[in-house]
Amino acid sequence: MAPENSARLVWFWTFWHWSQESFRDGVLLRSPLQGVGSHWDEWFRHEASAADRAAIARVGATEAGQRQFIAWFFRHWAPDAAGAGSRPIARYVACQLAGLEPFNQWKPFARYRGTYGVTGVSAVVLAENSAGESADVRPVEAVVLPAERAISSAKVVAEGFEPDGAELSVVERACASLLAGRTFGSFLALWIACGRRPGPAWWRALVAAAWLAVGGMILCLWFGPDPGDQLVTACAGLLVAWGFLTLHAGAVVVREAWRAWQLGRALLAQFAQSQVRLHMNGGLFLQGASAGLAFCLNTLVALFRTLPVERRHRSWLWQRSLGELQRTAGSWAATGVLTSEGWVHPVVLDPKLRACLRQPGIERLITPRQHEARQREVNRLAADLAGRGEERAATFAPGLRLGFAATGRTLGVHPAGHLAQVMMKVGGLLDRRQLAMNFFAAVVSVVMLVALPDLLRILRPPEAPVVVSPSSASPYYLWVSLDTDQPKSFRVRFESEFWASRIADVRRYEGGDLVPRAEMHVQRLPAHLSRDEDDGVIWIERRRSFLTREFLPGERVGRYPLSYVIRLSHD
Amino acid sequence: MKTETTVEKMLRWRLEQGGPEAPPAPRASRLLALSRPWWEVWPERTRQLCDRLGRIEMAYGHAMEKGGGARAGHPVPVLLLRGDQEIEAAARLLYFTARDGELRLRFTLELPPEVAEEPAATWEVTFVGESSTPLFIAVAALSVEREYRIEASLPPALAATWAGLKVTDRMPFRFILGPAPAKG
Repeated sequence: MAPENSARLVWFWTFWHWSQESFRDGVLLRSPLQGVGSHWDEWFRHEASAADRAAIARVGATEAGQRQFIAWFFRHWAPDAAGAGSRPIARYVACQLAGLEPFNQWKPFARYRGTYGVTGVSAVVLAENSAGESADVRPVEAVVLPAERAISSAKVVAEGFEPDGAELSVVERACASLLAGRTFGSFLALWIACGRRPGPAWWRALVAAAWLAVGGMILCLWFGPDPGDQLVTACAGLLVAWGFLTLHAGAVVVREAWRAWQLGRALLAQFAQSQVRLHMNGGLFLQGASAGLAFCLNTLVALFRTLPVERRHRSWLWQRSLGELQRTAGSWAATGVLTSEGWVHPVVLDPKLRACLRQPGIERLITPRQHEARQREVNRLAADLAGRGEERAATFAPGLRLGFAATGRTLGVHPAGHLAQVMMKVGGLLDRRQLAMNFFAAVVSVVMLVALPDLLRILRPPEAPVVVSPSSASPYYLWVSLDTDQPKSFRVRFESEFWASRIADVRRYEGGDLVPRAEMHVQRLPAHLSRDEDDGVIWIERRRSFLTREFLPGERVGRYPLSYVIRLSHD
Repeated sequence: MKTETTVEKMLRWRLEQGGPEAPPAPRASRLLALSRPWWEVWPERTRQLCDRLGRIEMAYGHAMEKGGGARAGHPVPVLLLRGDQEIEAAARLLYFTARDGELRLRFTLELPPEVAEEPAATWEVTFVGESSTPLFIAVAALSVEREYRIEASLPPALAATWAGLKVTDRMPFRFILGPAPAKG
């Protein structure tokens, strides 16, 4: 805009500076932004000079002049007065001014009358004696203003309606809890358990396939054919694959949780320094707190909107939930009594469902978990309305008549008992396949943890033990004591032409000393080939097992003549 | 509008407007009685109302915090007369200036939830001083965002005292709000 044009609009700066000075001097109670409508009314009535009035009249004389003012207001005044991210604030100011003289006569201001120009999640608030009309679905808009020593310490304030009791205070606490409190923990836990993971679809499919492959490998090792020489390779492959998948899953969860926590803290800090103004037309005195959920969602979206785009994208989880809700807010409606801890309590639902079905702009409705909130019930209700050939005018946009006739109208109902579930639903984060995959991965991991000692014994076998005392005092009992702390890794095989061959596991015997041993009851062969009672060899073999499965014997790591073993000390 | 004129001129003007059908002009004593404020007409009722207004407690807590904190101002006790009802309420001053003997003031009414309703377009506001004596009357008109504005000339005795008041100060007056008299 040319400087001479800016000079024509200097009266608005005059008003703004009067407002700031008056606030500073204690003449005005509210900050320039928070009381802008009232302040303009006062300034224009009493404080504007004749020259200011003449300048305003000149600008307002033509529609072109009015449009120039709007353009200047958004491009120059708002960034100067409100700084970065000023667009929602500029819309708020435009909305406040649009109904006042002389702006109420200016055509370009028509689009800001009664609206901030931001889309929000609609609340379903029934008019008195209404059975559920389209007008009962009421758009809610939220805008974040700097707190600037506001009149009250309330962080969420109502505009255009009177909330029921402490409803907005509950909304405030529920928002804080979701951003960095207990509800955030629930949200995170829910996402970890059954939430969709970030990343492209092909990568997620690959990870799922890898988990299935690990499961398959476990089954093969457990019940399949003996891998023989390939056992070590198979075990190494299994361990590496499971380790990678576990690390990957853990890293994704930790990274997203950390980023979500950081962004949640940033949003909470922003909330502490701001005042969120919730706007709903109609001047209603709300009875009951069923709009609490809608107010909470709009507050969260408005806070999220204040962050720069690149910062919003730092947390996939918030971007996916609040970002998605921000993008599609116009098609959402919500009803439910919210508590500070984030629980969503039941409401009278039937007329609200009717209202949403009659409102063509609404495609999805968040409700508390209750009997009527089942998709089948809603479809039946929709069919009932359509069957009557009902056609009603929607009042979503002024001057726009939308018909709802027998068009197979669908309304997606999303019941949720807690704010954390609501976040999952609005972001499309609930993923049954992921839930199944998480369950499968958990089972696989438990099995792997149980089998881990077996795998490690196969992959890193202990050193070969030596046979030590004591040996058995009885000639018909053979004790082979081994100097090892991993008795399960070895087995003893006795081969002889005088005695019957035997195989025995090595273990620790109660009451004995700490040296593990294999005990064998030996018998003479009926037709022994040798006459030498000392004939025989004792082999030490590696034992390889996986859970309940015993593999074929492994490498022989020791050979001792029987004569040597039986002559070892008995003590 | 020119406010100073003679009674004779007024009577002539009235006769011109009404013509021969004009009813006789009220007597001077009647006019004087009509111009008296209500608290002079009904002193006993005034005393009762002022006593009740004076008994409305406004508890202020000073929770000091760094950075100024919230800027709430001090609510002004209000006795709202609606039909036979006397409702205790509070007014939050949003704008206050008393320059050159002219008072300009904006406030919002904080009504109890049970009497929340569509705001009246106007109220007759009686300013009651700290000594429970009525000071003057003004009309409050509904303005933007459910707030009321008052523009009134201050009695000279008050003009000097109130000139230094800030909107955040504790105000030396209370309000009695009654229905505004019909115009004409």
